[in-house]
Amino acid sequence: MSTLLRIDSVVKTFPGLTALDKVSLSVDSGEILAVIGHNGSGKSTLVKILAGVYLKDAGQVTLSSSAEHGEEVTEMHFIHQDLALIPELTALENLYLAKGTLAPNDVAAERARARELIGRFGNVFNVDIPVKRLSPGQRAIVAIARALDGWEHPRNVIVLDEPTESLHKSEVDALFQAVRQLAADGAGVIFISHRLDEVLELADRVAVLRDGVKVADEPTASLDHGRLVELITGSSETERAVAERTVSAGAPMLAVTGLRGGGIEHLDLTLRAGEIVGIAGVLGSGREALPTLLFGATPSLADAFELVGRPYDHRFPEESIRRGMAYVPADRVRLGSVREFTARENMTLPELRSLRTRTGSINAAQEREEASRLIDEFQVRPPRREQRFGAFSGGNQQKIMFAKWLRNKPSVLLLEEPTQGVDIGAKAAIYEAVEAAAAAGAAVLVCSSDAKELLRLCQRVIVLRDGVQAEELSGESLTEHHLVLSGYGLKDMEGTA
Amino acid sequence: MTTPSTIGGLRQKLSFTNISAIYILIAVLVVFSLWIPNRFLQIGVWRSLLDAESLTSLVALSALIPLVCGALNLAIGTQVGFAAILSAVFLANAKLPIAIQFPLVIIIGAAIGLIIGLLITRVRIDPIIATLGMSSVLLAGMSWVSNSHQILFATDQPDFTKIATTPIFGITIPVFILIAVALVTWFVMERTPVGRRMYAAGYNPESARLAGVNVARLQIGSLVAGGAIAGLAGLLLTSRLNAGDPTVGPSFLLPALTAVFLGSTQFKGGRFNVWGTIISLYVLAVGIKGLQLAGMPSWVNDLFYGLALLFAVGLSRWERSGKRLGAVRRVTTFRSKSKGD
Ligand SMILES: Nc1ncnc2c1ncn2[C@@H]1O[C@H](COP(=O)(O)OP(=O)(O)OP(=O)(O)O)[C@@H](O)[C@H]1O
Ligand SMILES: [Mg+2]
Repeated sequence: MSTLLRIDSVVKTFPGLTALDKVSLSVDSGEILAVIGHNGSGKSTLVKILAGVYLKDAGQVTLSSSAEHGEEVTEMHFIHQDLALIPELTALENLYLAKGTLAPNDVAAERARARELIGRFGNVFNVDIPVKRLSPGQRAIVAIARALDGWEHPRNVIVLDEPTESLHKSEVDALFQAVRQLAADGAGVIFISHRLDEVLELADRVAVLRDGVKVADEPTASLDHGRLVELITGSSETERAVAERTVSAGAPMLAVTGLRGGGIEHLDLTLRAGEIVGIAGVLGSGREALPTLLFGATPSLADAFELVGRPYDHRFPEESIRRGMAYVPADRVRLGSVREFTARENMTLPELRSLRTRTGSINAAQEREEASRLIDEFQVRPPRREQRFGAFSGGNQQKIMFAKWLRNKPSVLLLEEPTQGVDIGAKAAIYEAVEAAAAAGAAVLVCSSDAKELLRLCQRVIVLRDGVQAEELSGESLTEHHLVLSGYGLKDMEGTA
Repeated sequence: MTTPSTIGGLRQKLSFTNISAIYILIAVLVVFSLWIPNRFLQIGVWRSLLDAESLTSLVALSALIPLVCGALNLAIGTQVGFAAILSAVFLANAKLPIAIQFPLVIIIGAAIGLIIGLLITRVRIDPIIATLGMSSVLLAGMSWVSNSHQILFATDQPDFTKIATTPIFGITIPVFILIAVALVTWFVMERTPVGRRMYAAGYNPESARLAGVNVARLQIGSLVAGGAIAGLAGLLLTSRLNAGDPTVGPSFLLPALTAVFLGSTQFKGGRFNVWGTIISLYVLAVGIKGLQLAGMPSWVNDLFYGLALLFAVGLSRWERSGKRLGAVRRVTTFRSKSKGD
């Protein structure tokens, strides 16, 4: 097999930090290379250098030259961690942004093609509304479809930076199938993920980065889950075993009947103190809409809505926060953060009242101290309180967002994809923080596309389908197998596994 | 993995991109001191400069406050002009005493801000369009009230002109007013929760809202505050000119906005801020004063403002331009025709 892309001793430094230290990699035609590593290890930086977003300080990047393949020129296609879609344009416009010249677009053909590409991942959604109105999962699919389309020949390199973080199992399967097909046709694939099972399933070879240094580059056949964790963390500590949960649920913190609005047709829901409840469901099931409805970010109707024992009818975010609700959205770039603010400013934004001095100003010393404590607690790396949010790696942005909402000691905690993009160590830390919050009396709602996550965290899981509750799983019936089947409304053929 | 050392921090603070206005000021001072020393180095020149630009600075602050919350106000010049005309009309035609006229103009200024705020947040008109429309309406209002003529009030209220022209320790009252307004604005914007929320609302209204920030209320509030300051500037303008002049107010727009944008490149790494705005304004004014004293034609003013804005903002974007280019490249597929990249 011929080498399509070779990276030689690439170095990239940011002020005071070496993000990539003489990293060398190569991808052959037909090969799927996984690049893994902890948050901030330099994976996305590498991708951005390949894409020309950042300039490298030293080193060499070589695409196989046209001479080796006749007239073919190797192209690179990217799915960036932040997707690089233009929010105001429609899915269709985003798909064909870079294609064509002055010739008029054949919109009908483009639309048909777009629907076909998207259809591979399940239900086709409206491709004519602005991307910012799509759910995170749908947006990921648009970015994937864009990268999969418009290949002039098969021998290209495609780079996927954590493409699966907001996707449901079936969509992940569809993506993997597409990727395998590309590789079989001669493409080279670079695949980045924190989900080690996916890595073991998909990749031919695994390269591991740790603090910007490549520490391993081995065929997948010689690796297993435990070994990967060891390579990523540099120690042989594995994921903490799940503790047996004997939580006695307390008083209802949030009780709603007949909730409707957004993608929800009708839902009754009670969350009790100390309880962690999961919400599962495929794209369009109402899973993505539910937290924003409860939080009052999108308007909703309800027959009765009680928050911490008091009726709560006129719902909007400011009031929800005041009454002790917190909402960690899945879309951390658009909804969860102010990129121009520092980590500190982001973390304190929802609750500045407690920092006020007698003159009405913010107590700067107290704010700095609280921010430092949170950065410590949530293992934000690098631990730079005054760094712009946008300059943190994806997983560390997630940690900051989490810190921001747990700081208030909420009584109702609404989580959407809480561990997207975070590495193994931080994931455990976030789980512990969520459990600690529950133990301290919060009611927690976790909406996640990751079945393992729901199993790990939740005592019971509500499966949504077409905007209504399809099923509630708990105890014996709460298995991954059952969860996945239930999301699609399939009957369980084999009994609970 | 540690916080930057204090030396590094200091170097960053004193870097050209961070305080370019100060370096430009020094350069301008040196150039004109050598070129036209006997005209440029006069105490009178500096006093009149300080006084003249204090009004422009007030106008710049009244544009800055809503801009921080994400509302670019293009009506600010006509808001000042309208207030200036009203100030004169209230004295000359309505024969109001100053004690009533003064607060009344400020209240009307605030009310105009309120209307703009409601248009933007409730009717959901884009700020640029809302303020452009309002600007035209106010321009018409000014012509209607003044018949497009100067309005003289000296016979009715000879004292009014003293407000802007009486010196205290050689410095006129508007300068003190500016300092007071700037201090309050600075304190609110950079030291209080309200200010923090204003910046959040301007940067990312959607996530600010989810963090409990009432974006609409902040925008309305900032436009009301900006409107009141514009009213104050209009009063002082009429007091200084000793007449209500319908042509002067609108000409504040360009220098005020120039200073605000220039100011955002100073001190705070891209954030709009009070001291950056005021310093930028005075740097521009010193440059223009020098050119005038050197006998340059008056169109040099506009040229200078324009070039300074393009230069300074372009400069501050320079280091970020790599990223910008990158954003474009990321949506287009990267193609390599030859070896390497
Ligand atoms: N624009 C920037 N300015 C300063 N530092 C940066 C910038 N971009 C990235 N970094 C730093 O470079 C390091 C590597 O970041 P990178 O985004 O490559 O991590 P990653 O491996 O993709 O992590 P994750 O799994 O969290 O996405 C991090 O420490 C990050 O804070
Ligand atoms: Mg990354």
